[in-house]
This record gives sequence, C-alpha cells and structure tokens, in this order.
Amino acid sequence: MTFDQVLEAVSGEPVHRSSRWATQDVRYVVTCDLMSDVLVTDHDQILLVTSLPSDQVARTADMVGACGVVLVNGKPPQPSLIELCGRLDLTLIRSPLGSFEASWRLGERLLVRS
Amino acid sequence: MIPIDPNASPSALLELIYRLKVKDIMTDTLTTARKDTTLRQIQTLMRENKVSGVPIVDDRRLVGMISVDDIIRALDQGYIDSTAELHMSRQLVVLEDDMPVSFGISSFEKYKFGRFPVINKARELVGIVTSRDITSGLLMEMNRSLEEMERVLNLQSVPEPAGQVKRVFVVQQFDYENAGRASTELKKILNSRGIDRALQRRAAVASYELEMNLVNHSLGGRLIFHIDDDSARIEAVDQGPGIPDIAKAMTEGFSTANDWIRSLGFGAGMGLPNTKRVSDDFDLQSTVGKGTRVKAVIHLKPAEAS
Repeated sequence: MTFDQVLEAVSGEPVHRSSRWATQDVRYVVTCDLMSDVLVTDHDQILLVTSLPSDQVARTADMVGACGVVLVNGKPPQPSLIELCGRLDLTLIRSPLGSFEASWRLGERLLVRS
Repeated sequence: MIPIDPNASPSALLELIYRLKVKDIMTDTLTTARKDTTLRQIQTLMRENKVSGVPIVDDRRLVGMISVDDIIRALDQGYIDSTAELHMSRQLVVLEDDMPVSFGISSFEKYKFGRFPVINKARELVGIVTSRDITSGLLMEMNRSLEEMERVLNLQSVPEPAGQVKRVFVVQQFDYENAGRASTELKKILNSRGIDRALQRRAAVASYELEMNLVNHSLGGRLIFHIDDDSARIEAVDQGPGIPDIAKAMTEGFSTANDWIRSLGFGAGMGLPNTKRVSDDFDLQSTVGKGTRVKAVIHLKPAEAS
C-alpha cells in the first residue's frame, strides 16, 4: 500500500511527507497508544496508528524503524512532534477517524492486496 | 556517577547568579506610558499587555512607575481619568543592566516590590525584571550549561581507536523534552556503520527502553554507548533510588509508573523484560539508596545475530 492509498483510506491530511513518501510500501499496521507496547513489535517498516500526539510517538516510531505515523481522532500534533518528524524523516498523517475505523479501513485495503 | 562534581555543584549554581547579568534575564519588550497618559489608559495597557506595572518615561528617561495598586486606588477614589504624573511613584528603586543577578535577588528580598525597572549607564530605561524573570533566566542558563557539559563530554570521547565509538549522554529525571535523543544518536551511528536493520532496531529499542527508564524512574543518570565491529554495548547508570525487588522488576507487566508516565505512553511494565528480550547479553545490578546499573549487549556480527 502506498502512502497516497493510506491517506485516502484514513481520509487524512499529510502533516509531513518523508523522503520515501512516493516509494514506501506499507505492509504492516500497528495501532497502539502505549509506546511500551510498540517497542515489543518485531515487524519492520510498520505504520503506527495512535491517538497520542506527543514527541515520544516519533521517537518510538524511529526506534522500531517505522515508516510513518497516523495520528487519529483528529488530534492536532504538537509543533515539536512535527519538527521531530522532519528531523527523523518520518511521515506524519492526521486523520479525523477514530482508532478502530482507521485501522479497519487500512486492514481492509491490506487484505484486498494480499 | 554523573559528571558534575557533586561537591562543586552547589557552588557552580551559586556562581550562575554572579556570572549572569540583569540584562541577561530582564524583559526588554517594554510597556511604557508618558506623564500625560491617563490612569484609565494605563489600566487598558496593563490589561492588553498582561503586566502589573507600567514605567512612566520622558523620552527614554525613567521618571516614575504606576502599579496595579495605584490603579485600584484611583478607581476606588474616583480619579481614574487624571494623569500619571500626579499619582506615580517617584521614589524608585532601579537595577542597572550590568549588575549581577545576585544583586537583583537581594533587591527582591529587601524591598518586596513585584518588579524593578532596569536602566543602563546613560540612565535610560532598557528593561524590567520580575522575580519570575529571575527564576526562568536561571533555569534557562542551567539548561544551557548542561548542554554545554554534554557537548564537552562527547568531544572528550574523541579521538577513538579505529572502529570504536564511545558516547556518554547525561539523562535527567522527567526530562521528556529530550528523552530519546541519546537513543536516536545510537541509531544514527549504527546506521552510518551499515549495520543490518534488524540489529539496529534491537539496539535502538534496548537503548530507548533504558533511556526512558532513566527519565521515568531514576533520579538522573548516564547512558553510555560502546560500539565496535563486534557489538554495541549500552550501559545505563543512575544515582538511585535503586530497585528493591529485581525479580519483580523483570516481570512483564509489573510497573511502578504513575498515571502521568502512563499518559505519555509508557509504564506498561515491559521496559526491562523487553530490553532483555532484544539483547544478546543482559546484566542488572541495583542497590536501594545507591543506584542501578544495567548493561545490554547486542552482537553485531551477522553470524551471532539471532
């Protein structure tokens, strides 16, 4: 799934596009508000769906080698989070959908593909 | 041990209030009025600019001060439309911009005013100081000194033997703004050495878990990286409080985190078990009242990678 397809799936707006926006293939989605739990996932290049708008989301995503973050519930990202995503070259998308609906729509598209 | 000499650090703090000048901490965007300004206009100025004292100036020369108390009195006694000149305080205690901050602090102690106007050598008004400016000025300076210290520490770790890297990062308790910076650096170093992505991730996760533990649970400490061709060794050394029951701390789901830490997405009781899980070697030693030392090693040679 491309980031353009992610954007369409979650009715989102891009807050920051990483340099890999056009080429990234999104294959795994992890939905979680607890960063401790994100750190125990073993998939590479995950897309992190969360409603936590703090800097630690970008730090955690970077540590596990995630390719991007979808911030759900229409939450505005803190300015420091946007800046950090820029520095870490991490895609950040804001979605008005709730966690469940965003994940469900993303899952639907991933299933169709496989 | 943290690389501030604990014996010298109280005097290092004291030194700050002598080294910093009043001009370093004062507010220099001023809300002023003239002698012919009415008290009603000054009241509006105070409300719009959220200040509780307005210096009265003649050109740039300070001639008086109107405080919020003067305004209340004017409203009470019905002279709010008269001019500042008739009601301003003229006996003013001022600070000079080149005075050390220590002088400002003692003035607040001595006179019990909420603010002091600041003048330069030419007796012109250049700023205003509140006790809040002093506190935030000192905090900013302490922060800056700390960053400088970290920079020096990292410089000291070069030159290194070829292929070896050592980095030391000071980690402060509850410093969520910088939490994760050290681990980001580790990941960058491993990436620049062309280390396999999965190994990079294991090392970064171990480091980040330990860094967040220092921020969330310790009284402050250091995160130390030793990287060579064979392995990445991550050490977290803190100054307390120590772990009373290590077996419990190593149990998944056990956590002493408060709601505040949880609201930031941490405190699931997975930190230490997860660090151990991603490490090839793991060691934890802790003494209550003294501190904790955790060592996590990730082998970087492909044959040894799990």
